[in-house]
Amino acid sequence: MNLFEFCYGIIHWLVDLVNNLWYRLGDVLPWYFGDFFTGVGDFAASDSHLSFMTILLESIIIILVALINVLNFLWIFRKISGRILDFYGPYYVGYRIGGWLQNLADGIKLFLKEIIVPTKADKLGFFLAPIIFVGSSLLILSVIPLSENFGLSTNSSGEYVPAGALFALAAFSIAPFAILLAGWSSNNKYTLIGGMRSAAQMMSYEIPLILCAASVFLLAGSFNFVDIVDAQRDIWFFVPMFIGFVVFLVCLIAEVEIVPFDLPEAEAELVEGWTTEYGGMRFGLFYMTTAIRSYAGGALATALFLGGWQGPSLIPDEIWFLIKAYIVYTVFMWLTWSVPRIRIDQMLGLGWRRLLPLAVLNLLIAAVLKTGGWF
Amino acid sequence: MAEMWINMGPQHPMTHGLWNLRVKVDGETIVDAEPEVGYLHRGIEKICEGLTYPQIIPIADRLCYGSSFTWSHLYCLTAEDLMDVEVPERAEYIRVMAIEMQRIASHLMWLAAYAGDLGLSVGFTNAMRDREVFIDLLQGLAGSRLTYNYPRIGGVAHDLPPNFERDALRTVRYMEQRLKEYEDLFDNSKIFMMRNVGIGILRKEDGIDLGVTGPSLRASGASYDLRKDMPYSVYPEIDFNVATHKDGDCYARYRVRMDEMWECCSIIRQALKKMPKGKWRVVAPRNAPASTGLGRVEDPRGEAVMYVVGDGSDKPYRLKIRSPIFVTLSAAPKILVGYKLADVVVIMGGLDMCLGENDR
Amino acid sequence: MVAGGRPRKRGSLGFVLKPMKRTGSQLVRTLILGKPNTVLYPEQKLDLPQVYRGKHVLDFKKCIGCGNCVTICPNDCMWLEKIDDPELGKIERPGVDLGRCLFCGFCAEVCPTVALHMTTEFELANDKRDELKLGPKDIRDDAFGSTFTEERQKRLVPVLDLSKCNGCEKCAGECPEICIAMMPIEKTDAKKPEINLSKCSSKGICAEVCPEKALTMTEVYESYFEMPEPKLMLDKCSGCGACARKCPSEAIYMYEMPGTEKTLKGGKKGKPKKRAVFVLEKCVGCGRCYQTCRFDAISMSGVER
Repeated sequence: MNLFEFCYGIIHWLVDLVNNLWYRLGDVLPWYFGDFFTGVGDFAASDSHLSFMTILLESIIIILVALINVLNFLWIFRKISGRILDFYGPYYVGYRIGGWLQNLADGIKLFLKEIIVPTKADKLGFFLAPIIFVGSSLLILSVIPLSENFGLSTNSSGEYVPAGALFALAAFSIAPFAILLAGWSSNNKYTLIGGMRSAAQMMSYEIPLILCAASVFLLAGSFNFVDIVDAQRDIWFFVPMFIGFVVFLVCLIAEVEIVPFDLPEAEAELVEGWTTEYGGMRFGLFYMTTAIRSYAGGALATALFLGGWQGPSLIPDEIWFLIKAYIVYTVFMWLTWSVPRIRIDQMLGLGWRRLLPLAVLNLLIAAVLKTGGWF
Repeated sequence: MAEMWINMGPQHPMTHGLWNLRVKVDGETIVDAEPEVGYLHRGIEKICEGLTYPQIIPIADRLCYGSSFTWSHLYCLTAEDLMDVEVPERAEYIRVMAIEMQRIASHLMWLAAYAGDLGLSVGFTNAMRDREVFIDLLQGLAGSRLTYNYPRIGGVAHDLPPNFERDALRTVRYMEQRLKEYEDLFDNSKIFMMRNVGIGILRKEDGIDLGVTGPSLRASGASYDLRKDMPYSVYPEIDFNVATHKDGDCYARYRVRMDEMWECCSIIRQALKKMPKGKWRVVAPRNAPASTGLGRVEDPRGEAVMYVVGDGSDKPYRLKIRSPIFVTLSAAPKILVGYKLADVVVIMGGLDMCLGENDR
Repeated sequence: MVAGGRPRKRGSLGFVLKPMKRTGSQLVRTLILGKPNTVLYPEQKLDLPQVYRGKHVLDFKKCIGCGNCVTICPNDCMWLEKIDDPELGKIERPGVDLGRCLFCGFCAEVCPTVALHMTTEFELANDKRDELKLGPKDIRDDAFGSTFTEERQKRLVPVLDLSKCNGCEKCAGECPEICIAMMPIEKTDAKKPEINLSKCSSKGICAEVCPEKALTMTEVYESYFEMPEPKLMLDKCSGCGACARKCPSEAIYMYEMPGTEKTLKGGKKGKPKKRAVFVLEKCVGCGRCYQTCRFDAISMSGVER
């Protein structure tokens, strides 16, 4: 049973339950009311409504699971960084589970804080920026399947969103708009420079990222996550396309904006970058979204290069997927705490002069592999 | 983008302390810079005029949070010069040893702040952790963690605590191990080198003209160290080299400080070995004669000078402090212009700012 | 150029792998092999050295109430308070304002009887400023001094009780270092041994030969602070004896000056005038006599009235 069937079952059961009421009301009430309620029942039982509600429920479940993972990611982030930096990390809140509850406590604290909007800020942009940022990041999560049976699909056949990987990458690249909007509307020089840097950075790193993904699509012959993962049954793609894998990881770090490439929010020179003027839960949303994007990045790298949910069947597929994503994220963190921040011009040089040719080279390798008939 | 002024300070992560660096940027490139200081002015020189000679020692400690020992030692040297007090040899060796420990602690704090500026948090915590070892050692020696109040006019406050030599030698051995490990984190890191090599070049002539002293000048190729060139205390009897570097960029400044830490370790070993037994303090006169006293030492940040005028009473008539950082800061606009905004952090971090002594 | 240091390396080979190796080994050390370096503060506390300068404690029985600690304090955060103690009677003892204290330790260092100590207690934060002002009763701890060995140097020196001395000159004759000189006291017929403590070898011969037991060998803490010395202007001294009563170290003795008796009615002679005699070896330099004297007969430079 896959997620669609599970959700369809739930929705069907619910609709039946409620429809009993509608039809009984239609029987009891006079004709003009009765027809209305019967019509409502008919609409509720119709195929289009059922599948719509099923997909809605599916995406809610997927995003909830992803958000729980994001909490784990935040915990790993704080714990691993603490241990690498030689201190304990979260410790007291949720002592028995390693301080896991600390993130929830911080979230509650951020909710209780006052939201301050600068007087000269552009109110609409200032309000919209976090929404776009969070919304686009949640969009990525909704299309990433954890296994063949756990993903957003439109019918019971298990066919997931067509071009799901493309959709995820597209949603990934909405964020610069939000960042630029936040930087511009805050009416502050630091945020402005941060937003500009972010736009430049995201644009220059988007291209090698998508070229690397394109070579994967070329080998797999599909934009669909299930097909991509199925194509890696014999050999995971990071072996033939190791260059592409490394370039993809570097670009992901830049997209997620963690330390070697966290120039938009470089706290040493631009106080907090483009989030300087945001306080309270709006800042909390930005902070959480960074973790969401890290999760999405790890999941993308897992699905595209590390064989997705492929693995010995001792443990369920979903867990395999998550383990791989966690390992990718931990390596991110490890790299993050080992190197200093890079400078903006050096970073753009790295992006355009090194990573882009490497990505093109990787695409060529993929094309050779495909025409050679190995895949 | 049009040119615009950006205030980096007085409340800014780049400024270690309270000061304001106004930079004019064209896009990300700096075209002008203008340091503003004075936010931390406490009038220490004036406060000292109202205190008796021994009472000034804890005030002199508070000139710089990074290396308070050097400043109280400098004050004691100055007052001894004024009063013609002969310091016992054991006290001199204890002072030299403690100053070199303080120099390591100060350089490690600089390294921590510098790594933090670069975004390398692990460098920050590692350097702070290793500084803690020396702070603990000095705490066991003097009784306080930051403001030691240990040197006195005519010696030091009390003798070495028991087992101090063993602890000190062990700490020095630990530090030498750590210094090798830092090479992995800093020198062997490509990104660290990218951020440092060729950034913030200070030419030797400019450095001498602007009065820059200390590691910043030695990194430009000038071998100028008061411990060698104008020895005070028992430095003539100790064998050490002056760390210099010819490049004059941020990496050279980093390298000079790291090499100085090696030298400090060797000086501590020698001082512990050569330390004689005997008295550690003599009674200092209460009233100073009506004359002047001058002290010059090599602070971790440069050349520190104190000048005191006595008028026959038990309070100084005037006390003047020459802060090395105040002078070095005047070179900042010269070395900032032409680099990127992100380099401000690296360059100013490389100068090792300490606002306590700067604003006094 | 650099000795002891290591040759300069360009980190092109390592890229980011060398630093990652370093942080990775640290992660293994803190996560798997051991624990992080930090101390979980409220549960664990560091061992502080004995010389640590924390909260003050005062031994009421040792303290003589001289107020040297108040004088030396660079921040004016100490004061003397008059209290009625059931054991010790009316006494003056210092209090300390922790809100202004620098914790420089001068007060403990200057104390002539080592009655004031600084403990290793450092958790002194309070949300009320008034409660940071600790009076003498708040810092009283008579037993603290015996809990650890005192670091300050002690010295065995002869201490003179001038009221017992009969001026026999035996001590001056027997002293092997010739550091005792019998000096006549001006305007009186008595003599007083003046001891040069810097030459004294602490053999105690002077105390042995003293017939009146006026010299006793006592352990005295050495002071490195040169304190101001009182000087008597004899023509102004009225002989009231207020300074002798006030002196915390009992270093002032009143001596009669023969030949100053006033002739009363009927040819009888009245009592002779008295003068103060300072035994400077016992003086702690607090300036209490100078502050007490109503006739400006005592001069002491550097002490505020």
